[in-house]
Amino acid sequence: MVDRARARTLGPTVDALAAAGAAGVELGYPFSDPIADGPTLSAAAQTALGHRTGWSDLLAAATTTSRRLPTAVMTYANPVWRHGLDPAMAALAGAGATGLIVPDLSLEESGPWVRASARHGLSLVLLAAPGTSAARVRRLARTSRGFLYLVSRYGTTGAGSPAAARQLRAIVSVAHRAVPARPVLVGFGIRDRATAAAAFAAGADGFIVGSALEERIASGARPRAIGAWFRTLLPTAGAPNGRGTGRTNSL
Amino acid sequence: MPRRFGPYGGAYVPETLVPALTELERTWRSARRDPAFRAELRRLSRTFGGRPTPLHYAPRLTHRAGGAQIWLKREDLVHGGAHKFNNALGQGLLARRMGKPRLIAETGAGQHGVATAMIGAALGLATEVYMGEVDMERQRPNVERMRLLGATVRPVATGSRTLKDAINAALRDWIANVRTTHYLLGSAVGPHPFPSIVADLQSVIGTEIRRQSRAAFGRLPDLVVACVGGGSNAIGTFHPLLRTPVELLGVEAGGPAGRGAGAASLTRGRPGILHGAYSYVLQSPDGQVSDTESISAGLDYAGVGPEHALLKDTGRVRYIAVHDADALRAFHWLAEDEGILPALEPSHAIFAAVREASRRSSRQRVVVTLSGRGDKDLEVVLRAARPRA
Repeated sequence: MVDRARARTLGPTVDALAAAGAAGVELGYPFSDPIADGPTLSAAAQTALGHRTGWSDLLAAATTTSRRLPTAVMTYANPVWRHGLDPAMAALAGAGATGLIVPDLSLEESGPWVRASARHGLSLVLLAAPGTSAARVRRLARTSRGFLYLVSRYGTTGAGSPAAARQLRAIVSVAHRAVPARPVLVGFGIRDRATAAAAFAAGADGFIVGSALEERIASGARPRAIGAWFRTLLPTAGAPNGRGTGRTNSL
Repeated sequence: MPRRFGPYGGAYVPETLVPALTELERTWRSARRDPAFRAELRRLSRTFGGRPTPLHYAPRLTHRAGGAQIWLKREDLVHGGAHKFNNALGQGLLARRMGKPRLIAETGAGQHGVATAMIGAALGLATEVYMGEVDMERQRPNVERMRLLGATVRPVATGSRTLKDAINAALRDWIANVRTTHYLLGSAVGPHPFPSIVADLQSVIGTEIRRQSRAAFGRLPDLVVACVGGGSNAIGTFHPLLRTPVELLGVEAGGPAGRGAGAASLTRGRPGILHGAYSYVLQSPDGQVSDTESISAGLDYAGVGPEHALLKDTGRVRYIAVHDADALRAFHWLAEDEGILPALEPSHAIFAAVREASRRSSRQRVVVTLSGRGDKDLEVVLRAARPRA
């Protein structure tokens, strides 16, 4: 989670994650009413807003991280809308971000967002979930840019009950068949090697870890320790399906 | 059923909720055309809810205003003590039709929570109600009522610990349990199709006003007034009157005089996206939703139903804000002039109605929706210094 109070440690933390094998970084920008987030990220957002974290802090953070790893910004619709879709996306792209993930932006409302992101060279990432129909997964895969974000469970970030492996496998395979070039990354509830391995077992191209990483950062873990922990999530060499694409969420 | 009201509305929700919203819309479309469903809704509204509610002339309040006649639409007499029953009953029947065994709800003043608990008990559905800790404190009687009715009350300790945060918590629960649970949203807010369903179910208020005012004084009223938090009693009051010449006035909570924006999203907010809909929102220049302040928990909300946003922009409804102290004044007026303890939410509308009536001729008729009774507010009213009349 972008937090003004963490500006100094952001660079070293991302360096450590990059060295540990992360393929990208996802910056969470706090919103006052994060309905898709569980206790960890909701609390992190509240703390960050208490530190008066604002839009300029997000742009500064994106500048810092995008020098090190490809950077996607995850935030809710209103903060982006309030700055104006075009000015907001131009600013994010200008700061080096390459992706934008908006968990409360449904496919139905995404039209103006898709067009604005294309104008500014930003990949608008859409989300699929366990209950999403096959027809809808195909539309999501076609509309999403960068990758398709597959929510692994019924629940908010970091919480909830995992969907059946069979269900996730079916969604990944529908998405891959619809757009073979579009990676599918699994997120929500990834917190250790077992949950990360389940993402690969479902055929996903990678995983996104958010709450579990945020917990470590919030507890004051040093970059080196965070990097070492992240390494434990990745598949060991020679593991089946081990494409090894980790993404990290929420710095 | 419109997905948008002009530019407003829509469904800005996590993908996990999309199938449930689609199912809800489909079920509502079929239910509203199903004679058996409509008959059951009508029957339970009458025998369980006590409808129709009377349109009651308020002679002494009229005398106080010294102008137009003031009439009260007595939604405070609905079972449970507020208009919330109308919506909770309809959505409860929908939940049963969808085969969902569990209801969740948010509540601010506790009136919607009580209504949901009553319906949950009557239909045999497990019920959990999310309520901000601040609201649990100031609306304690309703917390006890919900528990007695068999519902579980879940305290919400995040954010401003009021209605907005209770909605967040209910939405999170729904995301996790969407396959077994219906979110019985209590106001005309939230993602499509909720604003339309709630407006349909609450429109019984305005429909009865039309019929009853013709019976009582031979024509439609000149002005109809209702309070607006999320805006469910107001949209239900206004909807059947939109295509008539009746003047419509929505009254928001102005909060404490001289301090902040209160909870007046329409009069002091800007368009934004909150709880799944695009509408007016009280927010910072950075797009963070503001904490609100109002003496009435039921109006203490930073957003408002998307249809109200359109009605404001088109000018069909005029929206104003009334401060806490004026709402308290009106509470005491209605108690002493008419023998009715109003809830603090419609007290805002009563104040505006008296002021409007005082500027009009005695030939005019003003109807105000008295959306709930005031028993739940006694503690707040007794603690507040009584404003000079």
